[in-house]
Amino acid sequence: MNAFSTTVGAEISPALGAVAGRKAGGIALARNRLIFAVLFFCAAFLVMAARTVELGLSAEGPKFTAQKIITVPPVHIARADILDRNGEILATSLETASLFANPQKIKDPAEAARKLVGVLPELSYADVKAKLSSNKKFEWLKRKLSPRQKWAVNALGIPAFEFQNEDERLYPHGRLAAHAIGYAGMDNKGLGGLENFFDARLSDPRRVSSALELSLDIRVQYALADELEAAMRAYQAKGAAGLVMDVNTGEVLAMVSLPDFDPNAPQAAGGSAMFNRATLGVYELGSTFKTFTFAAALESGLVSFDDGYDASEPLKISRFTIRDDHPKNRYLTVPEVFTYSSNIGTAQMALEIGTERQQDFLNDLGLLRPATIELTEVGTPLYPQSWRKVSTMTVSYGHGIAVSPLQLVSGISSMVNGGRLLPATLIHNSENWKQGKKIISAGTSRKIRQLLRMAVSKGTGGRADALGYRVGGKTGTAEKAVAGGYDTKALISSFVGVYPMDDPQYAVFALLDEPKGTKETFGFAAGGWVAAPVVRNVILRTAPLLGVAPKKEDSGLYKNVALMIEE
Amino acid sequence: MRKIVTCLAAVTAIGAGAGVLLLKNTVQERTDEIKEIARQIHRDEEAIRVLEAEWAFVTAPGLLQEHSVQFLALMPPRAKQTLEDPVAIPFRPKGIDVEQEDAMSVILPAATKPKPSKSEKPKQKRDSL
Repeated sequence: MNAFSTTVGAEISPALGAVAGRKAGGIALARNRLIFAVLFFCAAFLVMAARTVELGLSAEGPKFTAQKIITVPPVHIARADILDRNGEILATSLETASLFANPQKIKDPAEAARKLVGVLPELSYADVKAKLSSNKKFEWLKRKLSPRQKWAVNALGIPAFEFQNEDERLYPHGRLAAHAIGYAGMDNKGLGGLENFFDARLSDPRRVSSALELSLDIRVQYALADELEAAMRAYQAKGAAGLVMDVNTGEVLAMVSLPDFDPNAPQAAGGSAMFNRATLGVYELGSTFKTFTFAAALESGLVSFDDGYDASEPLKISRFTIRDDHPKNRYLTVPEVFTYSSNIGTAQMALEIGTERQQDFLNDLGLLRPATIELTEVGTPLYPQSWRKVSTMTVSYGHGIAVSPLQLVSGISSMVNGGRLLPATLIHNSENWKQGKKIISAGTSRKIRQLLRMAVSKGTGGRADALGYRVGGKTGTAEKAVAGGYDTKALISSFVGVYPMDDPQYAVFALLDEPKGTKETFGFAAGGWVAAPVVRNVILRTAPLLGVAPKKEDSGLYKNVALMIEE
Repeated sequence: MRKIVTCLAAVTAIGAGAGVLLLKNTVQERTDEIKEIARQIHRDEEAIRVLEAEWAFVTAPGLLQEHSVQFLALMPPRAKQTLEDPVAIPFRPKGIDVEQEDAMSVILPAATKPKPSKSEKPKQKRDSL
């Protein structure tokens, strides 16, 4: 610019000087003005530069950045997971690929079918070829492929094979706890068990990321299922049921019903496999009911341990004769009546407390209405509509009344935990633990604990005595009701055990439907022979898992009762 | 003077422009990086769900028991084998400290010499012992 002005200045003639001078003045003025603009821009760029440096150097995030927050897209979960109490996955939803083809795009169906069957051997060649030869535009070939299978099909490189993502409900543990968990159908709708009961909560899009935590412990569940299955095989039983319950919270740790089904393929299961014997089935459970009769009698104060009943001969009432399964044919003290499971003694005790008190007691225990648990498969108890004297007597030892195993275990839990009836639950949530309704006093509960322990250490439940775990319990054997009477050959044999008896923690129940005696049981199929060993084995296997330590028994706890029992 | 100012302005403009461009590119790169990480996290989360289901499947108690019977010969513990309080377990008897050389001299010379073996397997076994 300066060079230009000097050149111009040197060449102009004096005549033009004035004009040029004026002009030069104007240009200088313009230049001076321009300088302001240049300075202005310079300053602006400096500010920009400074700001750039500042932004580049500042470690802390500036307060006013553009709203550009990158979020991780949430994982698509069609249905909330179900976990056991230790966080083990019992049910989960995964996205799987389903394979379909556009047959119109396939030139050589035979070749394509051969290739596909090569990587998916479970498909039939003829079937696939027929599908690929059709004139349709869409044909399902296989639903729910594993990631590896999907990769193999993609590797074939046939563009007519395509995938569509589908949600699949998976039960990694298969048959284990199938009745409690239930199952979901193709459209991800819960159709059985907890899946059905909590369908709305599990499929609620706002809550799918939070899993449903059950009270079940899959390890305990397996031990119980394994032992029951073995017993069912050994005694050729038609079915079996079992429960493990925390007596202080009402939480169900294991619920088994056999035969069972695979919830991954529920359509393959027969009707009887779906039937939940632990909650939907109601059975006359036999002598285990004596526990309730004794509790009612002791609680009423009408009967004490010092009393006794004559059990020297069968009791006749109208056309019924009440006999003992383990007859002693003598006068029995109250602890003896329980230990030797005397029907005659218990029936007399029931008459002493009366029909009304017995009914009230059973009603308080919730044995005359369906159990409350988070399942829709809940059986309604059966009991005599007109509760006569004879009913009072038979109900006292568990005949003429049918309840579900779950109700029995809840009832037994309340008998040993100090007298509080806690609603059975399959959900693990310590906030839900309730105080429970008081059924019997702590003193009566202590007496029942002594009786239960005696029934195992001296009486009919000896085969349930897991060494070191101070098991108490009661056997139960009932003949199955058939048209026109009872079938003496078809039994429901059960045992309910509680351990450790000096500080009850868990109740374990086992039931076998129509077991047959074997050489090892000398042909007997009663609860004490076939169900009690199941309970013992389950306790031996699970007590270390549940943190119950074996120890030497304090025999002083049972001294007084033991003295009243004559071997 | 004017010349300097003009040059300075030009340099500043070019410098600032280049700086902003660089910054923009860096931001873009970082954003892409974060987006990629977010996508990766998403993929990993999905994979974790699949793996968790698979883990639950392969650690099912029934399968574990089968493997235990096959490979370990473990049985459920008996009451006698269970302790309530680990304090009851005594410590290993301490014994007298022996120097390393002394310990070696106690072992028979034949035991320290590697035996000539035909295959590699027995040798490995001894090493691991």
